[in-house]
Amino acid sequence: MDKRAQGHPAVGIGYRAAIDEWTRENLQRFDVLEITIDHCIHGSDRRRAEIFDLVGQIPLTAHGIGLSIGTDTPLDLAYLDQVAVVVERLQAPAYSEHLAFTRVPGRDLANLLPLPRTEAIAESIIAKVRTIQSRISVPFLLENITYLFEWPESDLSDAEFLNLICRETGTGLLLDLENLYLNSRNHAFDPREFLDALPSGIVQEVHLAGGVTVDDPGLGRPFFADSHSHPVPDGALDLLDYACIRQSPATIIIERDDRLGDGDEILDDVARVRARIAGQRSELVHGRSAVG
Amino acid sequence: MVDRLLDKQVRLLEYLTSSNAIFGDRGDRAIDLTYWGNSRALLDLEARFSHEKRMHKITAVFPRTFELLGNHRAEIVRQFVRACPPTDIDRLRNAQQFREFLCARGQGEPILSPYLVDVSACEFACAVVRVGTENSRPLPDNGGVKPSQGWIRRRSGLILQRCAYDVRSVFEGGSAEDVPAERETLLVIGMSDSDEQPRISEVLPVIFSILSILDDWTDPAGFGDTQELSELLRQMEQHGLIEVRP
Repeated sequence: MDKRAQGHPAVGIGYRAAIDEWTRENLQRFDVLEITIDHCIHGSDRRRAEIFDLVGQIPLTAHGIGLSIGTDTPLDLAYLDQVAVVVERLQAPAYSEHLAFTRVPGRDLANLLPLPRTEAIAESIIAKVRTIQSRISVPFLLENITYLFEWPESDLSDAEFLNLICRETGTGLLLDLENLYLNSRNHAFDPREFLDALPSGIVQEVHLAGGVTVDDPGLGRPFFADSHSHPVPDGALDLLDYACIRQSPATIIIERDDRLGDGDEILDDVARVRARIAGQRSELVHGRSAVG
Repeated sequence: MVDRLLDKQVRLLEYLTSSNAIFGDRGDRAIDLTYWGNSRALLDLEARFSHEKRMHKITAVFPRTFELLGNHRAEIVRQFVRACPPTDIDRLRNAQQFREFLCARGQGEPILSPYLVDVSACEFACAVVRVGTENSRPLPDNGGVKPSQGWIRRRSGLILQRCAYDVRSVFEGGSAEDVPAERETLLVIGMSDSDEQPRISEVLPVIFSILSILDDWTDPAGFGDTQELSELLRQMEQHGLIEVRP
């Protein structure tokens, strides 16, 4: 039965073709799989067939990496139309993308970069989100990214910037807790303040992942990178506990792009997330009976 | 005049994809330190992260090519960065950029293995075959002529490769350091549903010639009507080189 229908967050992983066989063997261990839409759009016939074969076997949610909503050019409507077709075929309940930019005409970094956090930039994103909402049949979610640098003219906080866009468009948030965790460590801020600033109920989906520490001689201090290669750190799971006090995400996805061969580690991450959710529900029930 | 965001984004990406940011070189792109201030070290780290991700995609397609580059690898990659900024997120498009760079660079370049270009061509073809890009090929309309039963075409997904060296040994478990024989070698690279890896096979010149003109459904009668030819086409079908329209 669909966990989301029971009021629990559905817990699953991001589908990766490299571990397709392993994923199918372990399908019953997940409540949901997240499909990267761009793999359907640009992938081979075989890969597309493998992905669409999952429809009906397990709930699927749709995530994009190719929109580059923050590039200061009009949205690629042809791409969005392709997204709409894939979302419908996946029977996905939502479509998410990053609040970021990856490219400019003629150059594609293929890496998520932050935007200047100003009201003027928020306005331009709001207009684009409305266009997306008019062309995609399911709710659109924006995801917070991890960033190494900030634009000098930014005068809004992360939460203020996101809240402004979400409030004006009614779009929900895909809260990447690993990104929040890394940003808070790299830029020395309290991640709980970020979570406190989010309106209750805005978080529709959650991403978790594990990264690495980078010692770069040019920086003079370690930096934490979102490599999607290691188990989810306890610090990010603590933030999940904290976030779920005020938020009720429908879906929690563990992202893994490297060291995919270590399936036990991935399954262990799923179990740890479930244990945290179960622990929190037990605390809530206990708290309610103590009060009542 | 106030800069548009796009202008700033363009300048930022020019910097992040430059050899200045990635390798600390002087020259091709500078960063506006008045604007970015003390963020430069972080921008350079971002540039290196992105570059590593890109090169990870490319080296995954060209493992033997990179082995052949040996000690020249770092310098070649540096030159590649300067000549070919990333224009697409796609792994094959980045690989294609690298292959085209190597082909241009390989002309009259004595420090590189003479068969490097052939090895990289085969590795790229294997990647294309593996992804199955060719499988998406729509049926051609044959210039308005409706194909009939018995017409033939090259099997979808096959790639033809003309090499100056017989580089098959490099792909058959041999070391990249085993020098292949210098002789024109006509290869067909393909992968059937039952294959786990692409196959690289040498074919006779006559077969290569026929395959190279069979992009569309073609009436085999146009090749003549000898028993020898019929037998050749039958064998090509048997070996999965051509499709015969039912």
